[in-house]
Amino acid sequence: MYLTRQLRLLPSSSLVRHITSGNGTHYTTAAPPAAEHIEIPKRIERSPTDLLQALASTVGRDSTAPHYKYHDDPFLIPTSNVTKRTYTLSKEAGRKAANWIKEEHRELFMHQEAQPPIEKFAPSMVYTEESEVDTSSLQQLIAQGELTDAVLVYNLLEKKGIEVNDALKQSLLELVCFYNNQEPLPEEYIEERWFLQNSRRRERHGKTWKDGDLAEKLYAAIEPKTPQSYAALIRGMAKYLQCERAYALLQEANERQIQLDTNTYNAIIQIVSLLKDTADQRWQLCTVLLNQMAEQQLHPNLGTLNALLECISTFGNFKLARSSALKVLPEFKQLGVTPSLGTYYYLLIIFCRERAPVSHVIVDILNDIGGKQFKVEHPKDTYFFATAMDVCRNHLNDKALAKKVDELLHTGNNYDLIGDSFKESIYYRNYLALLCQTESIEDFMQTYDVLVPNIYIPEPGIMEEILRAIEINGAVEHVPRIWSDMVIFDHTHRESLLLYVLRIMVNNRPNAELPAQQQLPEQCAKVALDMYNKIEESAKRVRKVSFTGQMLGDILTLLVRSGSSFDKASEVFAYIDKQQHRIPGTPAESALSEYVEATVLNKAPSQALMALQYAVENNMETIALAKRIHEGFTLSEVHLAKLKSLVGESFLDK
Amino acid sequence: MAANLARLLECNIRCNNAAAVQSGWRLFSNQRQQQTEVEDDEEFRVLNLRTIKQQARRREIKKNAVQPPRTSRMPVDQDWTAVWSGPRSFHPASVPLPLRQGYTERGAAAPSKYANAELMKIPNFLHLTPPAIRQQCEAIKKFCTPWPKGLETEAKWKRPFPIEVITTDYCHSLPTIRHPEARRVTITLKLSDLKFDAHAKDKFLRLVGERYNQETGVLTFSADRCPMRKQNYDYAMYLLTACYHESFVTEPWEATKSEADMEVYQFERNQAKRSAEGILNWNATGEQKDAPSANYAKSVEALINEGENEYNIAKYKEEVLKMLKIAI
Repeated sequence: MYLTRQLRLLPSSSLVRHITSGNGTHYTTAAPPAAEHIEIPKRIERSPTDLLQALASTVGRDSTAPHYKYHDDPFLIPTSNVTKRTYTLSKEAGRKAANWIKEEHRELFMHQEAQPPIEKFAPSMVYTEESEVDTSSLQQLIAQGELTDAVLVYNLLEKKGIEVNDALKQSLLELVCFYNNQEPLPEEYIEERWFLQNSRRRERHGKTWKDGDLAEKLYAAIEPKTPQSYAALIRGMAKYLQCERAYALLQEANERQIQLDTNTYNAIIQIVSLLKDTADQRWQLCTVLLNQMAEQQLHPNLGTLNALLECISTFGNFKLARSSALKVLPEFKQLGVTPSLGTYYYLLIIFCRERAPVSHVIVDILNDIGGKQFKVEHPKDTYFFATAMDVCRNHLNDKALAKKVDELLHTGNNYDLIGDSFKESIYYRNYLALLCQTESIEDFMQTYDVLVPNIYIPEPGIMEEILRAIEINGAVEHVPRIWSDMVIFDHTHRESLLLYVLRIMVNNRPNAELPAQQQLPEQCAKVALDMYNKIEESAKRVRKVSFTGQMLGDILTLLVRSGSSFDKASEVFAYIDKQQHRIPGTPAESALSEYVEATVLNKAPSQALMALQYAVENNMETIALAKRIHEGFTLSEVHLAKLKSLVGESFLDK
Repeated sequence: MAANLARLLECNIRCNNAAAVQSGWRLFSNQRQQQTEVEDDEEFRVLNLRTIKQQARRREIKKNAVQPPRTSRMPVDQDWTAVWSGPRSFHPASVPLPLRQGYTERGAAAPSKYANAELMKIPNFLHLTPPAIRQQCEAIKKFCTPWPKGLETEAKWKRPFPIEVITTDYCHSLPTIRHPEARRVTITLKLSDLKFDAHAKDKFLRLVGERYNQETGVLTFSADRCPMRKQNYDYAMYLLTACYHESFVTEPWEATKSEADMEVYQFERNQAKRSAEGILNWNATGEQKDAPSANYAKSVEALINEGENEYNIAKYKEEVLKMLKIAI
């Protein structure tokens, strides 16, 4: 409990009574005469949450902590994309289960303890065939946006013969058209929406509009046809890609001189690309529609601009596309329409195409919008950041631009516009790939530390890019770290990656002078051993990696180089030897010679001879090995005999 | 058959190698080599009807690799306010300090921070480090206005603001934001700030009753009978005003104030005067009546009003001697 004391200003004159007799004056400690004018500043107005927001703005981001939706415990922090998805969706499944229980046993949840009462906690109305309903309940349901209940109630009213007035039918028509008569994913399931990736596929997949369904019935039931009913039906059909009929309705409305509105025309412009095939036809149709809008005195808005640009972005003829876009933009600027991030998204995909000449429009765009804060104004706004980063990486390969985009993303509340998890991963994928190619390895690892693994977990492809960058820079000291990250992110089933890691470690011998690389031989040996164990374990699983000779040779080399793992190396070699028939390929010559060197150092002649035997059996270079063995050891009779039997007597002459 | 029996009568398998079955008896066999092994073995052979293949089933539960606690990744110059932004019970994997707490037998180190209930029970102030407080103060400063000039000390502001209004706001995590005690308003005032004459003061103090604290001289009006804080505040102010003004009004029935109602002792009205007069005018004739001196009257009043203390008693003695003209 926090106590507050407030001193209120009260004019003392209201309490002092002027007394003629009596000794009212009572002097306390010396105080200045009250004639001084004391100025009390006015209270600064603040809303109920202003203080909280000010305090919240002091809290930055902790880069080692997971997202707040995960439990902050070393065992429970997700470290791969699969686990992130699993944990989030399972948490949401818990919420769904709770909701189900609340719906199923609604008689247990009737209490309303909160003041003011929370409506969401109260049990919802269930409408069945026998419910007593009237038009007011239909109105309420439409206002709340409950599609299935509203349709049910409407059907009930129809059955009972209760008259539903036209305005109500119109609002029901609008509701049904907006959702195409199927219940959408409830808004409260944010995690499912976050991971919903089929929004990409859904768009260009042909019409989903339900012909002859409730929407059209309602439309037919409204007599006479009002502009709003036309508008609702046209927009619904256009949204769910019933293009021809939507356009036909538009023409019908025009013939009947019915005044439509801007957003209806926007909906039609959006589907122009499905109505006409070639770029010229599409552009022509767009101009026709815009002229119609002008005739009807309809003022274009942001939706119009974005719909036009969407249509232009589908032009195959990119010269026409560019010129049209350049025509459209200044006109709309004149009309006073401020572009949103969606507009810039379309501009990027129009100008920065793969097989088109390089365009630096993004520089101008970033100069325009740098430092500004955006709110969602158009559904395509969320596509901007991913596309911008894609352009920076693939089209322009420019690190400074990428950093500018990143800065824009982190100003104010712009991070809300990253969209869903898919777009976020695309964004960071491109960002990291660009950085690892263009930045020094130290700076890159700093950014890597900040982003990975809590904000973004790289895919195997990006891991490969990072390894390539490390290889180019010769910064082998980072490889053990990357390997441990690969293990945690569950990339160890990718054979190419494993091979690459081994290759890098083998090819770049650690430089003992650099302090960062002093531990390196040990670490490399550990990595190699870890990989060996993992591959062995994975043999039982579905996504298994099989050993190849090259791989085992590299592992052997690394183990041998570390100096302290000779027995492990011997174990690995014994494995190679025994499983010869299962392992395709053979270890490299260098691997074998290094192993033999190690046997010399560790005084294990029998191992050396095993190696030689293996080399002989597999048609590898044996003379050098044999010489080395002979020089390195003073062999016993048995060993000498074996040596002679393997390679013959010839080398002894040297 | 011997082989079957051998499998039936197995000992507890201690070694991993499932093939190392210590077979027992070979019935009807002339060989004695195995018996020595059996005699050496002290274990009781358990009858195990499963085949060898079925026995080697105990699989190790595959534990996924777990990351080390994130304290190892925290840079030394990190922004601690971002890590521990609010009051939070102690979480060892997020605090990069090697804390130890707890009692152990002598010689042993105190328990470490992991799974340490002692550290988790106590309140920690990791969210109130000086930089954090500084940051938060900077953020809130824009809502603050400067303290008015001329009101720096308490003495200075008591003059224009004699009344103190005390209200309480409650912060709790409950389904409701309302708290029944939040409507209570208390108004305190020093009695000396109000101006009275004798009658008014007496009447006021009678009206106000227990709300006046004799020792500190503070008048307290507390109101909670209305549902809203503003209403209670208005009511308390009304009470104060009403009592004040009412105390200046003399009702006719106040004339019936008797000696028992008097709040102070007055010499004129009391027996002491009559007794003193009686003593002074003992055996006197009618015309000349000696009155007790004014000082005597004052000393009697002081003695009874203020209580007996050395000064009063001495003064009384002095006055009596003077009055009765007894020379020391």
